[in-house]
Amino acid sequence: MTDTPSPTTSDERDEFALSCHDLKKSFQGVMAVSGATFEVPRGMITALIGPNGAGKTTVVNILSGMMRSDSGRMMVDSTDVTNWESYKIARLGLMRTFQLSRELGGLTVLENLLVAPQHQSGESLFNIFFRPGRTKREELANAQRALEILNTYGLYELRDSRARELSGGQKKLLEIARGIMAAPKILLLDEPMAGVNPALIDRIGGYILDLKAQGMTILMVEHNLNVVEKICDHVIVLAEGRTLATGRLSDLRANAEVVQAYLGEVISAGPAH
Amino acid sequence: MSAFWYYVFTLVFFLFDYFILAMGLNIQYGETGILNFAYIGFVAIGSYVTGVTSLPNSVGTGQQYILGWGLPFPINLLLGGLASSALAVLVAFIALRRLRTDYLAVVLISLSLVLYDVINNYVPLFNGADGLYNVPEPLAGFFKLTTNSFIPFFAAVSGVVALIMWWVMHRITNAPLGRTLRAIRDDVEVSSALGKGVFRYQLTSMIIGAFYAGVGGGLIIQFGGSFNPTAWLPGETFVIFAVIIVGGVGNNVGLLVGALLVETLLIHLPAFLPAIPGHPGLIEYIDTMVVGVLLMVMLWFRPQGVVPERIRRSPISLVKRPASAIIDVAAPTEPVVAPVGNPAIQELP
Repeated sequence: MTDTPSPTTSDERDEFALSCHDLKKSFQGVMAVSGATFEVPRGMITALIGPNGAGKTTVVNILSGMMRSDSGRMMVDSTDVTNWESYKIARLGLMRTFQLSRELGGLTVLENLLVAPQHQSGESLFNIFFRPGRTKREELANAQRALEILNTYGLYELRDSRARELSGGQKKLLEIARGIMAAPKILLLDEPMAGVNPALIDRIGGYILDLKAQGMTILMVEHNLNVVEKICDHVIVLAEGRTLATGRLSDLRANAEVVQAYLGEVISAGPAH
Repeated sequence: MSAFWYYVFTLVFFLFDYFILAMGLNIQYGETGILNFAYIGFVAIGSYVTGVTSLPNSVGTGQQYILGWGLPFPINLLLGGLASSALAVLVAFIALRRLRTDYLAVVLISLSLVLYDVINNYVPLFNGADGLYNVPEPLAGFFKLTTNSFIPFFAAVSGVVALIMWWVMHRITNAPLGRTLRAIRDDVEVSSALGKGVFRYQLTSMIIGAFYAGVGGGLIIQFGGSFNPTAWLPGETFVIFAVIIVGGVGNNVGLLVGALLVETLLIHLPAFLPAIPGHPGLIEYIDTMVVGVLLMVMLWFRPQGVVPERIRRSPISLVKRPASAIIDVAAPTEPVVAPVGNPAIQELP
């Protein structure tokens, strides 16, 4: 499968920040992803939707390098990153958050953000002892930027609390803030609104729109179709591990297959939940 | 010098020495989350290499060992530390690269046993079960020290070494490097997703920790003049774990407290108590049990240790900036996804 040519031409690559072709992944014989093919347009907010068990999280795990696909290819910008380790993909500018928040519990909120910048001089033994000035300047600049981000996300007052002491909603915000701190080009959000109260859903939606305005490409797994309709420009529907359809949500509502697989219940029964 | 002061300076030496050993294990376990159950093996390698680089050529000494370079202090001590670090590189590439915590711990404890058996039985390496002895007292000739004055002198030397090594460790753990290590300790996968090459950092941590183990071991053989396999039974690793767990994982000051409580007061002080009549050696066994119980009690009631890991606060220079810049907080940003035209979002649970 790996020698199948990618469907994107070089012109199209500029248009897409992230693409994958025919990704497959099975767990002990059970196909979780069975041919996911899609592109994520640059500078837009793309939603990845689908019924439970459609393989959305597995796809996100593969795209972020935390899982290896059995076959298929994936590209970040014009770099083939198929089966790269996650830290190398992250260094290309792809950051992710987790469905269940995974804060670095023993670190403070501020430290959670300070871990994120890439290639810090203070991470090298040599610089710590022989270039202390440079290390310190960089650290202060990072800290200032981190405090500004925390302020934006309403976490400033909590900066010196241990991350494990935060509430569920605060941890969600911290995950996004930490991702932003790494100054990514592409942000993968795995259900950023899950388990979050309605007021916070609005806030997080606002943050995501702000990030788009700053030119970031966002791919988010989302169940809440109202959110998808409101903030997402592009939708990818996964069902049974395959890409079922892509397009605007309004167009997809007209697609009988999509409606049957996922939207049907929502449309007939009103908003989910 | 009276026997009393001899004891006191011996205790002081072991306090400093175990402080160094605790700092080494702490950067591996406390900061990076590597369960190094072979730690005492690294201590032993440091000790033996310091010994054989300090002893003269083995011909005529009645012992069998490699090297025999007859190097002066502290070059031999440095070589002991480096030899231990070299072993850490080897172990990291064999075990650390592929295995996660619990499996790694099992492999490391096996490694510790293998190392022990090889050194204990292969005489030409470090004189087998008899171990090394008659290791020259460092700097004794230079300062014209007698056997009596050497004890306080070397306790002071170990204090200086401990102070330097504390300063170095303090710099490392408070630098972004230390923070990244703690991030790896808290969540390996998240750290990797944040662009941290986890193995590189684990390797760095192993090398630094092993160097501390090696130097700590080297000081032991320089202090006592001998070192043999009874001094580093694989279970000794857990005494050092007790030191850092009781003192406070992730806190360098806590480690000194742990070394004082566990190593000095519980392990070494009772050795100077008069034996219980009719039961020679009983105190030693009670000792080990007390350490075990203390470890359990601490893990149950105060897992953070006597001196817990401190919170590293935000840089004061930034927090005190004028209110306009970043102080103005708390009020959540206006929702951009205002309910305009879409009341549905508001109604969701």
